[in-house]
Amino acid sequence: MNPAILQIKQLTMRFGGLVAVNDVSFQVAEGEIYAVIGPNGAGKTTIFNAISAVYQPSQGEILFQGKTQYSPFRFRQFLFWLLIGLFTGLFAMLIGVNVNQLWQKSIRDNNITDTFSYAAAWQSAKEYIEARLSTAQIALVSGFVIGVAASFSVWNRSRRTTDSIGRMGIARTFQNIRLFQNMTVLENILIGLNHECKCSFWSSIFRLPSSNRLEEEAHQRALKLLHYVGLADKENLLARNLPYGDQRRLEIARALACKPALLLLDEPAAGMNPTEKNELMRFIRQVRDELKITILLIEHDMKLVMGISDRIVVLDYGKKIAEGTPKEIRVHPEVIKAYLGE
Amino acid sequence: MKSILKQILQFWAVYYLILLGAVPYFFPADSRLEIATKFNSLMIYSLLALALHVIVGYTGILHLGIAGYFGIGAYMTGILCTPIFPFEFCFLYLIVIAIVTAAIAAVVFTAPMLRLRGDYLALVTLGFGQIIIFVIQNMESITAGTQSLSPVDPALVPKWSYPLFKSLGFSETWLNYDWKIFPNFYLLTLLMLMLVYWLLHNLEQSALGRALVALREDELAASCMGLSPVKLKLIALALAGAISGLAGCLYVTSISSTAGPKDYGFNRSILMLCCLILGGLGNRRGLLVGAFILVGYDTILADILNTQIQQTTWSTKVKNLLQPSNWKFALFGGVLILIMRYRPEGLFPAQRKSRAVKTPLESASQSTVSPQGSVSIAPSNSPLDSNSAKQEN
Amino acid sequence: MPLLASAELDQLIQYIIIGLSNGSLYALIALGYTMVYGIIELINFAHGDLFMLGSFLALTMLSWFGLDKGGSSASTFYISFSIAILLLAVPIFCAFVNAGVDYLIYKPLRQAPKLAPLVSAIGVSFIFMNIGLFWYGPVDVAFPSLVTREKVFPSSSIQFSYQALMVIAVTVPIMIALTVFVKYTNIGKAMRATAQNPTAAALMGIDVNRVISITFLLGGALAGVASVIYGLFNNTVSYQMGFQNGLYAFTAAVVGGIGNIPGAVLGGLLIGLVRSLGSGYIDEKWTEAMIFLILILILIFRPTGLLGARVREKV
Repeated sequence: MNPAILQIKQLTMRFGGLVAVNDVSFQVAEGEIYAVIGPNGAGKTTIFNAISAVYQPSQGEILFQGKTQYSPFRFRQFLFWLLIGLFTGLFAMLIGVNVNQLWQKSIRDNNITDTFSYAAAWQSAKEYIEARLSTAQIALVSGFVIGVAASFSVWNRSRRTTDSIGRMGIARTFQNIRLFQNMTVLENILIGLNHECKCSFWSSIFRLPSSNRLEEEAHQRALKLLHYVGLADKENLLARNLPYGDQRRLEIARALACKPALLLLDEPAAGMNPTEKNELMRFIRQVRDELKITILLIEHDMKLVMGISDRIVVLDYGKKIAEGTPKEIRVHPEVIKAYLGE
Repeated sequence: MKSILKQILQFWAVYYLILLGAVPYFFPADSRLEIATKFNSLMIYSLLALALHVIVGYTGILHLGIAGYFGIGAYMTGILCTPIFPFEFCFLYLIVIAIVTAAIAAVVFTAPMLRLRGDYLALVTLGFGQIIIFVIQNMESITAGTQSLSPVDPALVPKWSYPLFKSLGFSETWLNYDWKIFPNFYLLTLLMLMLVYWLLHNLEQSALGRALVALREDELAASCMGLSPVKLKLIALALAGAISGLAGCLYVTSISSTAGPKDYGFNRSILMLCCLILGGLGNRRGLLVGAFILVGYDTILADILNTQIQQTTWSTKVKNLLQPSNWKFALFGGVLILIMRYRPEGLFPAQRKSRAVKTPLESASQSTVSPQGSVSIAPSNSPLDSNSAKQEN
Repeated sequence: MPLLASAELDQLIQYIIIGLSNGSLYALIALGYTMVYGIIELINFAHGDLFMLGSFLALTMLSWFGLDKGGSSASTFYISFSIAILLLAVPIFCAFVNAGVDYLIYKPLRQAPKLAPLVSAIGVSFIFMNIGLFWYGPVDVAFPSLVTREKVFPSSSIQFSYQALMVIAVTVPIMIALTVFVKYTNIGKAMRATAQNPTAAALMGIDVNRVISITFLLGGALAGVASVIYGLFNNTVSYQMGFQNGLYAFTAAVVGGIGNIPGAVLGGLLIGLVRSLGSGYIDEKWTEAMIFLILILILIFRPTGLLGARVREKV
């Protein structure tokens, strides 16, 4: 078996008193098609939301490619906090010593004659602050501490966000399709390609040739991708005008544009007819085989799940009740009990 | 034939801007200066409306304190060039300083609040705008409190470059004062307005603009695609701050005084919001019309009618009742209510253009994605605003 | 040994009394914000200006009674009678204006994006402000001081005036009554149900529109009471006071946790105290900025307020 690309370790998700996911562990190996199934309300989508950082796990951890999903601490970060701290400290000090008076003493009072010099202003400012040294120091230090603490806590809170997960190589689709409805099909794909489009702010607002070139390249790649998923001649339609099956396809294509290593599909076959389902099955396999993308999916349609999954995990009331190949799952007593009742 | 006409008319915003440059010349020479002053402020407020458009139109944040950034730009300029203080910078420096400070202020003061829900955020931006007013009011030594800093008459370029400009044939008095007189500063403002308008046009068509639209459409989906909502919003805020700073700098230079803190208060912010909503949220061209109608009423038409009414012999009560400037709150309020009720997409619904796709697969020359209905104030399908988002535990 | 010199202590108590009196007025206004927000998630921006219109109406009615120049010549009975009439008429006026605005302006926007009614509310606020501007002009207007500022306990050194007594005697029973109303009556229960989940409430046979109207009526009436008492207590009114006090009250509602009735009262009292202690001990001109700062800090660090429940966003 290939090394695990995603490891869920004793994941528990609590919302107030409700335990949506209770102590669930499983591993998805690289190159696998792995399915999560279970009755409604079993906590499947919650697991997806936890993986893509819409929610933070209450307990347990999620490892992607052997690493936690938290963005690592960098020294540059530390310098940034210090800078913020210094800034707030100075700000607090200015407020503490009454900046209005300070200005009066250093600028206005020195500007009576024509011989204003910045050295004299600086001198009087220093004298003014020295007269209130203890206040200034207290304000400076407390402002510094507050600034550092606040920027640290903001950083700490945003170490695991949906966008950082997206950039890490996990893309997803949604149970209720969430396309950018008022953008064209092509633009939807371009958003997926966006994070690797390296055009800078300045070159794009001044419309420099470099940004035009990058844009052109992105267009070409997007068109190729559309061709690949079979939406080739629809690039200029608005996403909301697409038929339902095509919307599902487009959502997958948009996720593929992010070049993920792991693709999360949340009920990709919902609302499709049998022909479309067969087509989708083929398509998912094709994505795995040709693009080497690991796929984790939630699905209710047993035929599809049994047909394409390499392994399956079954949840019921937030608990894992079984894991194994489709063959094993089909005959698992717990699973039968969960789906059919006693 | 019709399509040619349509194509010509497509660029009406550009014609409008060019026409603005010529407006004072339609009037007799003796009233030209006065008219130019009024239209100058119209252009400056159009700039400010563009700044608000960057926040409200691009990111969907309802910002109620844009005049605060305007005030920062204005007072920065005033402080650094009034003769009360020793700095007396030249206009070239001032414009850069005003832009940079207002942009930094916009980012620093709004960044910690970006996680808030839409309506709370609106109130916080309002509170922030009010705090700026109080700071300006209370820092009397620095800002002259409720009075204004004046005169604000910067030289055009720094002193050290005078020899260079003199050798190019500019006189010293021109560089010191005369560069501001009638056609020059008027055209400079117009140039700035056009420049900002063009830059925003480019931005909307770039990858960044697309990302902003996606963010407004569905924040969660966009962030799952690896777009950082915080970063994008901060870029928009910085840009909006920069444009308002520019507007503030031009404003104080044009009226040669910082005016009082009241000029940068809530009413101004709401006036700008009205312009946006009237013109159609997310529509850059529409807001020019919105600004023309509302600012035009507020600074031009109301003034003219006021003087007319003052000259009549009616009783004071009637005069007060008839003065259009007394009706401006009701007008702004009425505009907001009526537009929200009957035409939430504004007079001119947003049309978003995407760049033409030239492809080997298909030689389609792609065009407008039109008219895509309203860019609603907040994406109703975003996780923060859906009606189903209310689930307490 | 006493902790504070007695003069300082008296001063402190004085500030606290003023703070609590103004605070309970803010609490009354904040209740209007909080109840409306709890039910339709709208920050009713016009609420403060409704309060302003209420006090203008009170002033006009006083001039009908011949009391607008002060009540020195009138008998105590006549004064209390007219105040009682004010306390009846002004809340009714405010209640109906508020519910009318809801019916005409917010109701058609129930299904619109959430910021649309907020923008409309700002519009209504501006229109109210304009009405106020025409009503009494752009300057501060004196509101007659009908209740004396004399001490209730003349022998004590503490300045507990009849005015402060009036504020407490009016506001505290109203808050208690409101709590009882929301908790035990059928309409109150319907209001709470609608606040929890309007769709489910409608399915259970609650007439949601009626509940919303009643909420607006109640909120308006509370603002009306507050406007009369505010005028009698602070003795100046102006067309801009709605915006200012509205923001204080909104801050109070947010501090307490918007949608939460005891929270609004607590928040109102806190904001009142911050204001009076701030102007007493720090600097009067910075108190307003301080209150906005508190609003911003609360929203950043605890957006759900002191007593508010955590709201989970559903994906």
